[in-house]
Amino acid sequence: MKYLTIFFAFVILTSYGCAPKAVQLTPTEQKQVQALQRGDDILKDRDKKTGITEEELAQRDKAREWSLEEIKKNAPFKDIYFEFDSYIIKSDYLPKLNEIGNWLKKYKNIKIAVEGHCDERGTIEYNLALGQKRAEAVKNYLVNLGVDEASIKTISFGKEIPIDSSHGEDAWAKNRRTSFKID
Amino acid sequence: MTKHRMTLITLVMITLLFTANMAHATVYLDIFGKSFKRITIGIPPFKGENIDRSRMDMSELLNKDLDMSGFFIVAPQSLMDKELTDEGIEKQEIKFSNWKSIGIELLCKGKIQKINDDLVLEAFVYDTLDGALMLAKRYKTKAEDWRKIVHRLADDIMLAITGEKGIMSSKIVFTSGGKNRKDIYMADIDGFNIKRMTNYRSITLSPSISPNGRYLAYTSYREGKPNLYIIDIDKNKEAYVDRTEGMKTGTTWIGNTIFGYSHTSGRYSTIYTLNVENKDKNVVQRNDGITTSPSFTTDGTKMVFVSDMHGSAQIFIKDLPSGSPKRLTYSGTYNTSPVLSPKGDLIAFVAKFEGAFEICTMNLDGSNQRVLTVGGINDSPQFSPCGRYIIYSSNKGGRYNIYLMLFNGENKKMLKFTDGEETQPKFAP
Repeated sequence: MKYLTIFFAFVILTSYGCAPKAVQLTPTEQKQVQALQRGDDILKDRDKKTGITEEELAQRDKAREWSLEEIKKNAPFKDIYFEFDSYIIKSDYLPKLNEIGNWLKKYKNIKIAVEGHCDERGTIEYNLALGQKRAEAVKNYLVNLGVDEASIKTISFGKEIPIDSSHGEDAWAKNRRTSFKID
Repeated sequence: MTKHRMTLITLVMITLLFTANMAHATVYLDIFGKSFKRITIGIPPFKGENIDRSRMDMSELLNKDLDMSGFFIVAPQSLMDKELTDEGIEKQEIKFSNWKSIGIELLCKGKIQKINDDLVLEAFVYDTLDGALMLAKRYKTKAEDWRKIVHRLADDIMLAITGEKGIMSSKIVFTSGGKNRKDIYMADIDGFNIKRMTNYRSITLSPSISPNGRYLAYTSYREGKPNLYIIDIDKNKEAYVDRTEGMKTGTTWIGNTIFGYSHTSGRYSTIYTLNVENKDKNVVQRNDGITTSPSFTTDGTKMVFVSDMHGSAQIFIKDLPSGSPKRLTYSGTYNTSPVLSPKGDLIAFVAKFEGAFEICTMNLDGSNQRVLTVGGINDSPQFSPCGRYIIYSSNKGGRYNIYLMLFNGENKKMLKFTDGEETQPKFAP
């Protein structure tokens, strides 16, 4: 865009430069030419200014996108973990949830989904319900902090999407979680 | 001896004679004890001209079917020498003592004929004790459907000998897939005729089919969150969808039009029954916390379900429409996925037991709890319509497969359908 503008400006300048050979002009005609030339200069300037302004605008838009992206990237989201067969939020995680709650209250337009997950043990059906209760426990806590209820969705995946497919206590502990996702 | 005592003894002896004679005729197996005696059956290769492979395939399949039934010990082919296998199939051609002497109690003889594009199977089942004819049947089908008539024969043998038709003609509906992708499938119980019922690039699970085979219900994430769908299979369109917030799952049927499922959302969990035709919806159970996995008696008068309303996952039963829940399980802190037998006498469920998750059964009052599986994560038990079999999924073998066993845990057999991990099997009409 910038180069195009410069090109056009150049073309205009040179084409105006390619004026017909000097002819003796009457004073009125001279004045008219001068006026025209002044007009051209103004146009030239304006073209230059428009070019810069457009570029500035483009930069400003980019900056605005970055900001929203930055905001979302810097969201204080962390997975919350649970005990086996439990949907009680452990006190360890309350400070983190408080932080998230405040963040959500600050950025009111951002909608999120809380996903509830379980480890591989137990039945498919019961885990689908358990995952839902975990997600809702987190949502309830945030809503009680003052976050708008309508901005939080809950989705349970039961034990269908483990984050660690291996077996044993370590993997299981990682899978008993809720995750935050921007909607 | 007194006259009376003589009469008594005579009567007793006559009775014994009678029962001895009848002992083979009513070969009804009492399978409600801890274990029962299986009957040894011999099935030599079917006779037939110009049939080449079919003869072997068909009698082999019958061997496999009766072995899977759990009620028979199928005599290995190696036990039968040429004299035995060359024998004719009619009673007068058979030397029963030869069969009896190698321990075979029932003898099944068959003959195949090809008539144009059709296959005709004639089969006879004899008691080797005295040559009594237990079953005589003739089946006809298109040649390519030969498996079907072998399964029918197996089921008819079961009916004649055990009093109930077998399950080898059954269809199974189940979930198959892997991480991030699951779909619903249907297949014959022998692993053939696999039909894919859903094909969304998503997780679709917890299937159930109405008894008349008209509706398929499932939970699917195909619209981004777990919604409940009931599809009219023939018309291939949605009969009902629940897109509300929360988890909707645990689908089950009472008769052909009433559908039960659970909805976990917000403070309460609810079990609903829905009339698929007029969309009438009723709350059957509601409480704080988790309530899910409803299963009903065929007459709809009782429901079992799982709930944590007492602080841990336990199984409850209640009379419908307005009884109060009665707790059935008191051992351990994890008893889930209950299902009622269509015979109304047993509940199968999953219990956390010594670190594993085992298929168990109990009576409707919670008594006589028994552990049927041995280790691994066992899940989703379901009864066959006759109530004699339990089908379930298990990762005992490393990945999830579907297994069949008798209701008392005996005769476990792995079933195989697709290449995916297979779970949540149900008998389908």
